[in-house]
Amino acid sequence: MTIVDGRIEHEIRIEAPPEIVFAYFVDPDKYPAWMGRQATLDPRPGGIYRCVVHDQATVAGHYLTVDPPHRVEFTWGFEGNDTMPPGSSTVSVTLTGDGGGTRLRLVHTGLPHPALEPHDQGWLGYLAQLVGAPAS
Amino acid sequence: MDVQIRALAEPRRRQIMELVRDRELAAGQIASHFEVTRPAISQHLTVLKDASLLTERRDGTRRLYRADPAGLAGLKEFIDSFWITGLARLKAAAEAEARPPAAPAQRREGNRP
Repeated sequence: MTIVDGRIEHEIRIEAPPEIVFAYFVDPDKYPAWMGRQATLDPRPGGIYRCVVHDQATVAGHYLTVDPPHRVEFTWGFEGNDTMPPGSSTVSVTLTGDGGGTRLRLVHTGLPHPALEPHDQGWLGYLAQLVGAPAS
Repeated sequence: MDVQIRALAEPRRRQIMELVRDRELAAGQIASHFEVTRPAISQHLTVLKDASLLTERRDGTRRLYRADPAGLAGLKEFIDSFWITGLARLKAAAEAEARPPAAPAQRREGNRP
């Protein structure tokens, strides 16, 4: 895990080919297997990306790039939140075939920080709510 | 994370974070921006420092403060937990799907002959 200047990066290896892994980013039936409990996905540039994480949190944005099975990019934010609204940050996923498996690299950029948003009193309460909510 | 949320819930402490976001300031310089007493500001600085949101440096008798880039990772850490948990689940789901349903997965998981 690396966190530097509004940026998160992850790289993992998955023992499954990129074709299988890719579907988990674009197929609304498969998405809840790894995040949230319900997804609305329209995987084409400009298409909707929306995931109900739990009662208090819905993540939303839209797809920027859909290039199966190697690259998918979408915007990301929380519904009902001014500090990090839907579409305010960007998630970029690259899948590289690696001996029958996949190297998955995820880069999340454009993240804000509550300390740097002094006029938004709403975010802290929202964040506290998210932290306090049971993991879905 | 909880410590940071509590630290930032106080409006003056959020203003202090804004002041030292891009520059290092002495406690007195920070206090001059507020109507409240110097000890009250010192108290706020202590809370922010304890929450790892500020770094403190001594220069002679002065104490200098600035935003701690590492401590400012609070929200990012929170978002990151989405990805840590999510990607672990994604890996498990994709690998289960990739495994042939009938044959036991011996190549990597098992050491049986």
